[in-house]
Parts: sequence; structure tokens; C-alpha cells
Amino acid sequence: MAETKKIILKGRKVIGGKAEGEALVSMEPLMGWLNVNPQLGCTTERNHPLCGVSFKDKILVFPTPRGSGGFVSYGMTVNYNTNPAAFLYTKGNNLTIFASLVAQIPTVTDFDQDPLEVIETGDYVKVDGDRGIVEVIKRAV
Amino acid sequence: MTDEEKRILDGEKGEIAQRSMQFLVEYGEAAGAERLIDLDGTVDLHPLADWVPKYAVTLDEIKELVKKGERFKVPTFANKPVAPGFLIDGWEKCGLPKNSDPEYRRKNMEALQPLIDMGMIPIFSCNYYLVSSFLPTVGQHCAWVESSAIPWANAILGARTNFDGCFHTAYLGKVPAYDMHLDENRRATVLVKCETELKSDIDYDLFGWAVGEAVNLEVPAIVGIGKPTTSQLVKMNSALNTGGQVRMYHIPGLTPEAPTVEAAFQGNYQRELSITRADLRRVYDKLNYATKVEVDFVYLGCPHYNIYEVYQAAKLLEGKKCKSLLWIMTNPSSYQVAERMGLRKIIEDAGAVLLSGSCPGALLETPPMRVMATDSAKQNYYLTGMFYPEKLDVWYGSMEECINAAITGKWSGDWR
Repeated sequence: MAETKKIILKGRKVIGGKAEGEALVSMEPLMGWLNVNPQLGCTTERNHPLCGVSFKDKILVFPTPRGSGGFVSYGMTVNYNTNPAAFLYTKGNNLTIFASLVAQIPTVTDFDQDPLEVIETGDYVKVDGDRGIVEVIKRAV
Repeated sequence: MTDEEKRILDGEKGEIAQRSMQFLVEYGEAAGAERLIDLDGTVDLHPLADWVPKYAVTLDEIKELVKKGERFKVPTFANKPVAPGFLIDGWEKCGLPKNSDPEYRRKNMEALQPLIDMGMIPIFSCNYYLVSSFLPTVGQHCAWVESSAIPWANAILGARTNFDGCFHTAYLGKVPAYDMHLDENRRATVLVKCETELKSDIDYDLFGWAVGEAVNLEVPAIVGIGKPTTSQLVKMNSALNTGGQVRMYHIPGLTPEAPTVEAAFQGNYQRELSITRADLRRVYDKLNYATKVEVDFVYLGCPHYNIYEVYQAAKLLEGKKCKSLLWIMTNPSSYQVAERMGLRKIIEDAGAVLLSGSCPGALLETPPMRVMATDSAKQNYYLTGMFYPEKLDVWYGSMEECINAAITGKWSGDWR
């Protein structure tokens, strides 16, 4: 039986609320506008490692946004029920804030350690947006 | 919050002002801002595009405000319409089913009238700052939109803006005080040395992308890029904010907040990196990847071509005939000048189309095509996302290479 390991990250609340689920980690920045498709619930950026990979119900972890203010389309996924369960990112700005305000899903950033160095795709993650606490249960290896 | 802001939040100034303030409060809290700041610069907004639907203000509500004599608090400019996108000039010749319908255009123009009555100045361009004839000055607080325009405000003009131009910020004349409004976030952290001579306009496009990828949200101080032209700076800004998320940078000796390298960093230096010819080549290969030489559609004008670019394009087309469809997109103001100069006629005589006020990505509609050529990293990289899961092949090169492709119907551009 493989051991499970639990790690706690502490960050800043952007949007409160609780969510949990499997992590989908993008090591590359995410880009919005025409390079995210809210109906399909995936990035459509050519060359992106997650192009075509559904983020529905995932804890979506990424380093930063890049590109157009159309990043807000990540939030518009709620209109199609394709939205992630939560957003966790290393560093954001106006782009990530508006996407989260639209989606109204738990969002945490500005962590005590880089979430990309801790969380891997497939880890089970519990997000407490109000407290800015993220519990990472490492995938059994 | 000030007493006045609290009163607006309590509804003392009406329901629209209250809703706008609720938006600013929720936005400011999410941003970690401690207060609001009064705008003393300008607002740039995508007309009728609301960032957060639950705070949307309807057209009828705007009409009511107009009747009461209410106006925007600061000079407010219209970026290109995106809700929906439509063509301002040349639409009769665009050949697109929706956009060549006079009724479609009339309806969309009419919908913007209440905003114009509120004082919105209808420039209708992503690079409205080139033609608006009224710009913020150093240190003024603004609320702009459009990724390619944001660095123009912050870096080139030394004004201060995040990405939050919209009805609410223009109506209240306030934004949350965070990020680019605060001195400490505007200092450079990374020195970017350009170790190749940037010659052509697309060199600046490629360089901007390479820097954007390398620094993302950091503020770079850029050295070694010569004396860029307006066209080159516009292209560089557009690519900085597509390949990355560079909303502020310094060019010591050129941009207003950095007379020197030391002034750019103010003691905040963290690292440095170099951009070489090989980096530009890597970006070029990312953008220029089509295989089929027959080109269906050539697109020039992302960001919207300025009047000098329209002039250059017209000179290349003079006396020629295009085999492939060529669109040249400019801002509506420059369209009028191009008309006066006879450039529209030259372009149309060559079988190409001069348009204004939008782009394929904003129209969400393109002519039928499978192979496109463009001189814009930004339009190049987004249109393939719009086509997904269908494939779009894209050639990338200079204005001259793109126009040659339109004339011959074939791509013959190459890395130089």
C-alpha cells in the first residue's frame, strides 16, 4: 500500500468558498480570449500542453495568466457548466481577478510556497478559499 | 472607503452608482486593494462589454442616466467594439454574411449611442491612443483595456493603469488602488539585454514575444533596442502582452519613468537575461508554421494599422492585382485620412479591402480559409484558438512578404 502525504499551502483569498477535487496543473501560463473555449471547457492554445484537456471540476493550478483581457473567458465557463472547481495560481493580476469574479469559484494566490512546486496533476486538493488554505494529498506512488 | 464612497454604496447616488460601487468593492477586495483611487487620467473601454455580468448596466439604464444629464467622470474613449465586434468602415466590401448586412451594422452603431451621449468618444480602435488627440500625462491614474494598449499607458506615457476600463470605472471615476497604480509595483525587477540588432518592424514583434515569455508578470528594464518607431513600439507592446503579461516596462533613456537604468530599478534589481537572434528565430518558427504555400487570406492590421502603415501598404499594392484576399485593418480616424490621400482607392484597385474598427478575432468571423498570412504575432496566435478543433495554417512575416503573398497567391517569405 503506497503512502499518502499531505501538504498544506497558505495563500491569500481572492474568492472564498470551499472546493475539492483532482488537480490539473499547467506548468505554462494560461491564455484567454480565443485561446480558451468556455463551451468545451479547455484551453485551445496551439502548442499548449493542456490544449484540448478538459478542466471541468478540476482544481486548476497555473503559474500566471498571459495575453488578452479576454482571460475573463475562463470565468465564463460557469455559463456552460465546464468550469474548474477552483483556481490556484502563483501570481495573478487583473486578468485572473475578473475571471474569478465571474466564475465565483474558490480562488487562492500569493502562497507561502510555489504551488507548481508542490502540486502535480492527479493530486487530490482541498481548497478553503476564505482562509486561503490549500491541502494537497499527494497522489499515491 | 471615504464617506462619499460609502454613501454611493448605500445607494444615495442612485441604483446604478450603487451597483457600480458594489462592483468596485468586490473587485478591490479580490485584488487585495486597501482603498479606491480617483481617476485623473482617462478611461478606455470596450463599449457595452461588462467584466462581471452580475454588475452589468443595461442600455435602457444608460439611456435613463443620459436623460438625467449624467456623464462620465473622466475623458472616456471607445476601444474597438467587442460586444459584439463589428466593422466601422469598409463593411460593405468585407464579404462576410453578418458584417456586410447594413441592418446589422445600423443596429450595433445605434446601441452605442447612449454611451456616446454619456460622453464616450467613439474612436473605436485597439490603438485609439494613436489618434485620440487626448492622452494622460505622467503619473495620472487611468482605467484602460486592451492588452496591446496597456503598456502604452504605463510604459510609454508613464500613466498608471490596470486592466479595468469599463462603464463602472468611467461612471464613478474610481478604481481599486493596487498593482500598477502603486509606485512599488512599477519598478523594474529584471534587466533585459537585447543582444541582436532589431531592424524590421517584425523584429520588434518577435522581440516583444520573446521578452513576454521570459518575464511574464515582471517589470523589465529593456536595453539595446535602438530607437523604435511608433509602428515598432505598437507591435512590441502587442507581443509583450501576448507572449506574456507585460503591462509595464522601462526603456532607460526613452520611457518617462526611467531616465537611467538605476531609475528604472530603484534598488529592486533581481536578475537579468539576454535576448539573442536565436530567441527571435525560435518565436518566428512558432508563428510561421504553415506548410501549404497557397494562401487563402492575408490579414494586416493587428493592432490596427496606423496611417503610415496604410500608406506603406498602399505603395506596395499600387498598380498590382491581388490573387488572394487581402484585408488591411486600420482605425476609423486613419481610414478617413487614407480616403483623403487616395490610399483606399489604390488598395481597392489592387483588389484588396481597407477596413476599420475591428479584426477577425473581434468579429468572430473570417472569410473562408485554411491558410492565412499575417504580420501580427497576436492575431496569428489567437485565430488558431478560435478555429479549434479545426486546423488553421498560418504564415508569418513582414508587411512586404504578406503583400507579396496576396499578389502572387503564394507564400515566399523566409527568415532573414
